[in-house]
Amino acid sequence: MTDDEIRKEQEIIERSKKDARAFGELYEKYFDRIFNYIYRQTDDEELSGDLCSQTFINALNNLNRYEFRGVPFSAWIYKIAGNEVNKHYRKNKGKKIFSIEELTIKELVERGDEGWDEELINKLLDFMKDLPIDMLQVLELRFFEDKDFKEIAFILDITESGAKMRTYRALDKLRKNFNIKVKYDE
Amino acid sequence: MSRHEIRLRRKRITARGRERFRNYDAVLKSHEETQRLKKIMKVFTLFTIILILVMLIIMVFRWEKRMTYIPAKENFEITFGTKQV
Repeated sequence: MTDDEIRKEQEIIERSKKDARAFGELYEKYFDRIFNYIYRQTDDEELSGDLCSQTFINALNNLNRYEFRGVPFSAWIYKIAGNEVNKHYRKNKGKKIFSIEELTIKELVERGDEGWDEELINKLLDFMKDLPIDMLQVLELRFFEDKDFKEIAFILDITESGAKMRTYRALDKLRKNFNIKVKYDE
Repeated sequence: MSRHEIRLRRKRITARGRERFRNYDAVLKSHEETQRLKKIMKVFTLFTIILILVMLIIMVFRWEKRMTYIPAKENFEITFGTKQV
């Protein structure tokens, strides 16, 4: 996000603090991304719709408390969405779900000449099942949401170095177990 | 046993699927309702604080009044009988 875009967003936020209708612009901008982020953690459209609405209601209700802290406004919305999802799982005491699109995996992970088969995808899913939740959260934000480490740290309430460490550990494990190269690999 | 479940989705959610849930008017309505409730709560809290303060003031006045009406204690002159020899 460029400085100009951030400044424009800040202007909308300031306007929204006085008139909630102005927030509609940010709602339209981030609705899809937040919906997908929640949907990936619930695998339930209706529930995602509810949690997504609640996320924006909470954001609007607490907009006066929002201050720019070096990360884009979207990170703040993601943080609220994450809290809503966690609240839902705490309340319902269910297993946390990560639903991943097959196409996205194929886009993100390069298999060289070998290509993908059903068995390999199942192996990868089994491998991910054994990864700790905090690692999965970081991977999700980094590779599915294209967030940088600063934003990830803000969203998950961890340090930037902590976010990097979790990502690299998870990637190391992936590389050790599978002969793959992840896109954006640093 | 892991505490999370990984599911594979064969298809991406379509824009139409998401559209069903896009409703800023509902979000705005809910926000306005919350703001209204917040205002009511603020007024109620303020009213309660004022009521408590008024009651305290009344209690202090009454206590002061009661203190001023306490009849002054009579001064007893204790005279010891003198021993007559």
